Amino acid sequence: MNQIIDISTGKLLLAFVFIIAAQASSLFYHLGLHRDITIGALRTFAQLFLMGYVLTYILGSDNFLLTVAIFAVMVISAMSIIKGRVKEKQIAYILPTFLTMLVTYFATAVFVSGMIVGTTPWWEPRYFIPTGGMVIGNSMSAIAIALERLFGELRRQREVVEMKLALGADYREASSDVFRNAVTAGMIPSINAMMGVGLVFIPGMMSGQILSGTDPLIAIRYQIVVMFMLVGSTAVTSLIVMLIIRRRCFGVGEELLLSPR
Amino acid sequence: MNHPLLEIRNLSFTYEGASVPVFERLDLVVGSGEFILIKGTSGTGKSTLLRLVCRLNKPQCGTILFRGRDITLIPPAELRSSISYVAQVPQLVDAPVGENLLLPFAFRVNRKKALPRHEDLRAMLDEFYLDDVTLEQSALKLSAGQKQRLAIMRSILQEPDMMLLDEPTSALDPESAAMVFSITERLNTSRKMTIMTVTHSDYRPETIKGVMYRLENRTLKLMQE
Repeated sequence: MNQIIDISTGKLLLAFVFIIAAQASSLFYHLGLHRDITIGALRTFAQLFLMGYVLTYILGSDNFLLTVAIFAVMVISAMSIIKGRVKEKQIAYILPTFLTMLVTYFATAVFVSGMIVGTTPWWEPRYFIPTGGMVIGNSMSAIAIALERLFGELRRQREVVEMKLALGADYREASSDVFRNAVTAGMIPSINAMMGVGLVFIPGMMSGQILSGTDPLIAIRYQIVVMFMLVGSTAVTSLIVMLIIRRRCFGVGEELLLSPR
Repeated sequence: MNHPLLEIRNLSFTYEGASVPVFERLDLVVGSGEFILIKGTSGTGKSTLLRLVCRLNKPQCGTILFRGRDITLIPPAELRSSISYVAQVPQLVDAPVGENLLLPFAFRVNRKKALPRHEDLRAMLDEFYLDDVTLEQSALKLSAGQKQRLAIMRSILQEPDMMLLDEPTSALDPESAAMVFSITERLNTSRKMTIMTVTHSDYRPETIKGVMYRLENRTLKLMQE
């Protein structure tokens, strides 16, 4: 395999051609996206460089506490992104969601890194951090979609849910359709990704490994593990979060607490 | 000891963000087989009172006893299967009439109850002035009055001890409203069903002896028997 070709600073700046093209499209069609594109591009640049330096330090440090701390910071960041997307004031969903994410993502990363890949120690930062990052990034979107759907649908279908409660349904029975739709909506992107992988697109991790000189047959093994891990962890995490938060949408008397907006 | 079917003691309720309670230290006793009519203008808390009885609203202050038991100690599904609440705007699912009628039997609390037979449902539809409605047709295509009668019929099928009717005729034309009132009076006489209904209309029972209250100035006042 060939060694990876380094991208010089000058060539990196050349990549801004794509940003200029996006800006031009926005300006030409008055999309009003030029500000967001600029900020997004600058953040990508700054955040990834920062991450590069941090990863270089962590990968070289072999420090357990630091590895776990970085992992926790990644989950906190994911939670703050979810909080930004899910504008819910009435139901306290943040702490239980955060704790569920922390526990299940950690368990997934430990399982994949320590048992499937078999690193020693199990928290080997070179495997543990990227594995955790992929799990968190993928599952975060699913949870945000599912939570938004759960709160929105319970509000929209308030009368139907209350009708079922009035007919003797418990809170689970009264909200079963809404619950199912919310979890499914969160899961669909991960399932679609499994359907299209290798046919419609080459996943980022596999591309990265191939670009860095790894044998594609090894890269696909990693990618299969990653795809299964993403689907499994997303399903389990979003299901646990949904079960906890749905209960919180109902009071002690199983009355629907979400008032119409 | 014989307890009344429903007893409300010292019930107060304040809407979120409001400074004055909608009703305060409200008392009411409902005996088995009674027909209670509560009148009052909009915003006096009539619907809230019914919703508190079946725990669709969170209680704040006071006690509600059902057959002498504090309702907060009764499992909610069990309570709502015994005290059936029919909302002002009837809610039906996008399914045939028959499926809507059998919906309560899909819930755990009602699963041990005998499922009504097809011919019993047919006979009940006629009794509820729904003789032109089939069990197979879509429930969502019915008129507002038909939907309301179907919703009442669906509640009756679980054989509750008491029915709470929240403004059952507010969205109906006079003819449909008369049908609904006629049905509720008949349920009270022929099935000995205890009924508590709230309305802001001028309705007063014609064929039965009801107990009428007015909800105003944050309390219930007995009108006449």
